[in-house]
Amino acid sequence: MKPHPLIEQLDKQAREKEGVFFAHIANRLGRDRITEKPVQPVRGVPDFWREYNLGEQERIELFMRNWESLGGTAKRFATKEEIAAFIDELAHGMSAKQIIRAKHGLLEEMKVDEKLSDLDMTIWEKDSPADLLAKAAGADIGITVVDFAVAHTGSVVVTSSPEKGRSLSLLPTIFIAIVPAGVIKTKMGEVMREVTKWNQNGMPAGIHFISGPSRSADIENDLTIGVHGPGIVYALVLDEK
Amino acid sequence: MSGFNPTSTLEERARVALNDEFLRNAVKYTTEKLRTNKKSATDELGNWEDWRDRGRMIRLHTIAHLDYYLSLFVENVRKAGGYVHFAKDTKEAVDITMKIMEAKKAKSVVKSKSMVSEEVHINHALEENDIEVVETDLGEYIIQLAGETPSHIIIPAIHKNKQQVADLFSAEAGETLPPVTKTLAGFARSKLREKFLEADIGMTGCNFAIAESGSMVLFSNEGNARMVSTVPKTQITFMGMERIIPSFEDLEVMASLLPRAATGQKLTVYMSAINGPKRSEDSDGPEEMHIIILDNGRSQQLGDPEFQEVLNCIRCGACLNACPVYRHVGGHTYGWVYSGPIGAVLTPVLNLDNREQWGEVANASTLCGACHEACPVKIPLHDMLVYIRRRNVEEGIVKKAEQLGMKGFQIVASNHRLFRSVLRFGKVAQLPLVKNGMISSKLGPLKAWNSFRHAPALAPQSFRDSWSELDQELKQTKNELPADIKQRMEEIVAKRGKQR
Ligand code: SF4
Repeated sequence: MKPHPLIEQLDKQAREKEGVFFAHIANRLGRDRITEKPVQPVRGVPDFWREYNLGEQERIELFMRNWESLGGTAKRFATKEEIAAFIDELAHGMSAKQIIRAKHGLLEEMKVDEKLSDLDMTIWEKDSPADLLAKAAGADIGITVVDFAVAHTGSVVVTSSPEKGRSLSLLPTIFIAIVPAGVIKTKMGEVMREVTKWNQNGMPAGIHFISGPSRSADIENDLTIGVHGPGIVYALVLDEK
Repeated sequence: MSGFNPTSTLEERARVALNDEFLRNAVKYTTEKLRTNKKSATDELGNWEDWRDRGRMIRLHTIAHLDYYLSLFVENVRKAGGYVHFAKDTKEAVDITMKIMEAKKAKSVVKSKSMVSEEVHINHALEENDIEVVETDLGEYIIQLAGETPSHIIIPAIHKNKQQVADLFSAEAGETLPPVTKTLAGFARSKLREKFLEADIGMTGCNFAIAESGSMVLFSNEGNARMVSTVPKTQITFMGMERIIPSFEDLEVMASLLPRAATGQKLTVYMSAINGPKRSEDSDGPEEMHIIILDNGRSQQLGDPEFQEVLNCIRCGACLNACPVYRHVGGHTYGWVYSGPIGAVLTPVLNLDNREQWGEVANASTLCGACHEACPVKIPLHDMLVYIRRRNVEEGIVKKAEQLGMKGFQIVASNHRLFRSVLRFGKVAQLPLVKNGMISSKLGPLKAWNSFRHAPALAPQSFRDSWSELDQELKQTKNELPADIKQRMEEIVAKRGKQR
């Protein structure tokens, strides 16, 4: 899509101006502009932190513990079938009407759609309905499979793609994160390293670390849950590959 | 907006704050809570000093090579399909924003928290052009409805009580809402939902910008920053030119420091790295993304051994919570966008052209060093405050404030009973102060600049005690520096000079 002429004009101005902007910075720093990559005296975390690694069981347990302490619910399941049964019970138990989910092999294998066939189910995919945002905003539950999880901070990490919108984990009242046990890392840096690898072949537009339910303490310090994002969040850890 | 109009002086603003009991208690309580949380979060992480050193070194290196990293960032944003704009001052930032508005035929904007946008007064500019702008951070929404400015960098509405929030929201809802947090937050959620879905433009700040990937990183707890960067078709991000870090690896350090120092969280509920506009086949995310990079006095600090480090600031607010003066008087006393020790430094150094107006803000400090201790990137704020005071003296700014009649005000205000009787007997005209037109009709004109205060009740005991305590601290400003501080400063300056 061709940009609006005003935007083109702004872009042109910016490109003309940037040389002066950068030269001014260099000048204030008392030297010529640097165009070669400088050597970083330190990069990333201290060494002792790099060496901090937990075994798989510990990672899973710590992740679940932290997620719960943030106000989420964490459950662990041996099989896909068990997860599907849990979602079935949860959705029907709370009389959910609208569900939205990512298009993901794992969710198809779980057959969640079958279990929830009596509900209004929207699948996020390339040829999604035009009112996808409205669907997500109206959904009681959003379900996605996360890319990573971080034990130390109790976070799940979701990235955007045509099959997996950002809204899935943001607009519905309840967010269900399916966490394959294998994607749980000890600390944030391991995710950062994976992300840096994508750097070369283009990144997803959005990388979101999510740690518990949306919250605010802006009104007289009272903790409120679910201000803009989902107030109820489940992390369902799956052992089965 | 009148909030940034410094028609009042530091001491006047402090007096108002000290007189507001709710404000003082709320600020004390909240800052105390944040400090306790910070302490347990940093203890839990362990080796906090090593983390701070790491953070400081990364920031020092980045700022010392800012031209390189900034241009790398710009290159990568463009590669990802985003637009970058450069604004040397607030006027340019407004002009660029308005052009984008025009191109997009925008009628409405939803905003997540951005201190830079406060510097730019963007809300004012948008409203003047009949564009609706809605703050979506709960605290910012509250103060927007109240027509005020943030009084804490992390908790903007720290000075508002539940009843005040209920009144503001009731007026907006057209029905009476009870002062119950859940109900109030529920109202804001549904009201703002509508706004998110209707808005043409999403406007955000930027906590960090990653040079190597062209990502802008946002931290939020409510999820409004995610909303703003997901739902509207166009995203505009305001970014101070110093927000850069080199890599995602370095983000791990910053993400370990910022939430812990700010609120004592291991990580905020949401940390989002946004890498350009949505990919062509994605179904959500902005189609067009603009990043406006603002200088506005920042480059003046580069190459200045006394102040370059202020650019390392990651805007966590820890120095506010640690500062005895901030804890006494809250944020509005500082008069401009940033408050607390970081505000006391940034305000005069980013407003070099208005030194006379803003120079005195550096006096709102005790030089106790608690800010430096609290700072996750170890900025020597207390030294900087001393440098500013020295500059003020050198440039005769102190004298100017005295000429304005502040002496007389100080004497009267420090004695509450005298102050009251002066008002009661209408002897106001006899005060030197009146020439300055500040108390010409009882409390009338005061009201204009203290609209953030809900009840003009004077609380005699606490007011007098607090004032004299603070006044002592403020008076220190005129004293010569203690020899040890002076010596340490000189050493630091010498050392820093070499490092560069
Ligand atoms: S100066 Fe330090 S403590 Fe204060 S806001 Fe900036 S980073 Fe935080």
